[in-house]
Amino acid sequence: MGSTRILIVDDELIMRESLRGWLERDGYAVAAAPSGEEALDMLKKTRFDILLVDIKMEGISGLEVLKQVKEGDPDVAVVMITAFGSISTAIEAMKNGAYDYLLKPFDPNALGVLIEKIVERQAQNRENFYLKEQFRERNRFESMIGQSKPMQAVFEIICDIAPTDSTILITGETGTGKGLAAKAIHTHSPRCEGPFVVVNCGAIPEHLMESELFGHQKGAFTDAKETKKGRLELAHGGTLFLDEIGEISMRMQIDMLRVLEDHVFYRVGGTQPIEADFRVISATNRDLKAAIKNTTFREDLYYRLNVITFKMPSLRERKEDIPLLADHFLLRFAEETNKAIDGISRAAIDEMMLYDWPGNVRELENAIERAVVIGKQRKIPSEDLPFYCAQHFSAPENDSLREIEKAHILRILNENLWNITRSAKILEIDRTTLHSKINRYDIRKPD
Amino acid sequence: MIDSGQYRIAIAPIGIIDPSLTDSIERQVRRIFGYNTDVVPLLDQLDFALNDERQQYYSTMILEKLAAAPSDQALKVLGITSVDLFIPILTHVYGEAQIGGKACIISICRLSEGISSADSGQRLHDRAVKEALHELGHTFKLRHCPERGCIMHYCRSIQDVDRKSDQLCRHCRILLADELKRLETERRG
Repeated sequence: MGSTRILIVDDELIMRESLRGWLERDGYAVAAAPSGEEALDMLKKTRFDILLVDIKMEGISGLEVLKQVKEGDPDVAVVMITAFGSISTAIEAMKNGAYDYLLKPFDPNALGVLIEKIVERQAQNRENFYLKEQFRERNRFESMIGQSKPMQAVFEIICDIAPTDSTILITGETGTGKGLAAKAIHTHSPRCEGPFVVVNCGAIPEHLMESELFGHQKGAFTDAKETKKGRLELAHGGTLFLDEIGEISMRMQIDMLRVLEDHVFYRVGGTQPIEADFRVISATNRDLKAAIKNTTFREDLYYRLNVITFKMPSLRERKEDIPLLADHFLLRFAEETNKAIDGISRAAIDEMMLYDWPGNVRELENAIERAVVIGKQRKIPSEDLPFYCAQHFSAPENDSLREIEKAHILRILNENLWNITRSAKILEIDRTTLHSKINRYDIRKPD
Repeated sequence: MIDSGQYRIAIAPIGIIDPSLTDSIERQVRRIFGYNTDVVPLLDQLDFALNDERQQYYSTMILEKLAAAPSDQALKVLGITSVDLFIPILTHVYGEAQIGGKACIISICRLSEGISSADSGQRLHDRAVKEALHELGHTFKLRHCPERGCIMHYCRSIQDVDRKSDQLCRHCRILLADELKRLETERRG
């Protein structure tokens, strides 16, 4: 994981060297500049997390350095170093955005505590930003659930690959939980204490993508009123999850390829290279090999992303997990809505087992959420399942029960090519009853 | 003990240092780093490092002298002094080390802080031993360790020094073993 970068700006060599030596012992990456001019030059080329700036220097003063740094990158913590006589200047610096000031010479304990505090706060800021985002989006799956063989295989893969730092590509249909798998890999990796940053490549409009990923400098374009960090930078020390990677434009593919190669990039309008240390996990529901053939996806990027790959099974391939998943979602939504619903009827479970779930686990989750919201009984009945309504009640609402039953029997018979035994089984009635209903409703086999 | 050929760690008392303290330090240095030790008085005075204004001694200058002092068999040199040390940007330091280098130094000047005269002997020894092992650790490329009990933990106060143990944590032990192995391979050429 990358270490905190500190820049010391002081015109006295002895101060620079003694401070550099001291901070390097703590494992920080330390650089030093003998003047404000040189510091600002260095800042154009490299990004630093913390600046320790002597207030009184020949040429560009410490206060001017502070001003320019804060304009370019407000997240950099600037600590002013001052001699006893110039505390008032230090206080002025605090008003201009300095994090703190230190009186020269300072107590070693005070320095250690201060730097640790800044590092902690910066890590927290990065994390807070994403906690807020996550809270807003609300994780659609709070845990991965499944006892089926395909899911057990997925769990095994996750356990194997999580501790490595390899780039991973997760494939699978929409709603199968690719994002959840990515989060599980992050949680079980040595980067688990770092941020998990999601970029939904399909949801961010092309013209915003660049600024969203790389960030931008203040004034880089008309709306860039403030300098903003991009998601790559926010992922420093953690995992970057590129969801729906198949949707990014050819132009962004070239940019991404470069970033993945050396983890160095520039903010939009920025001149300073930024280095970020993150693991990349991407996901797609598209056939990227076909996209390569159609020349809509770069082959070199594909191989860069696809170091390790695995597929999330569709819900159809693991139907035995449906009751477990449904119960899990039921408990969650019943608790959230404070409703006294504590089960799912046998008939509803049967309906769910017969259904194809094109939207996979996400569709199941939505179905249960809806059923809980509209539910009036202790156990969810089949009628409260959205696909049940679609399948069974396609007739206009003002039809009589008789008309609805007639239409439903006719549809089942047609779907099963008038095979009476099979149709009766689906309708859960015996063959005699089905014959009698066919006669009663005057249902006729089409020519 | 490491089959260290001719390499040893030199313990260099500067000025008057209680011999029982150097004994304690030697014992613990042998235990942690595995090298034999010698007590060698390499510097007899530190006037060259005295800052008149501060009335303190500049530790970085002392380290340079210690590293350059003729001590053929010494892989590392640990200076022990009773004078107050500083580096220009800080008010004082308990010790300083050249990271991955040859020399380090500790001062016992401020280590008696908060110790009553009744139990001064043992507690001062304990603190000095911990500081000595900590600074020597730096010369073997060990950095500050977040583990509170580890000898390489950065202490914010003398109470922190008292709280930490005189042992390396598992992680630092591994890093030290790697460095010792590297030094051994280098020595064998």
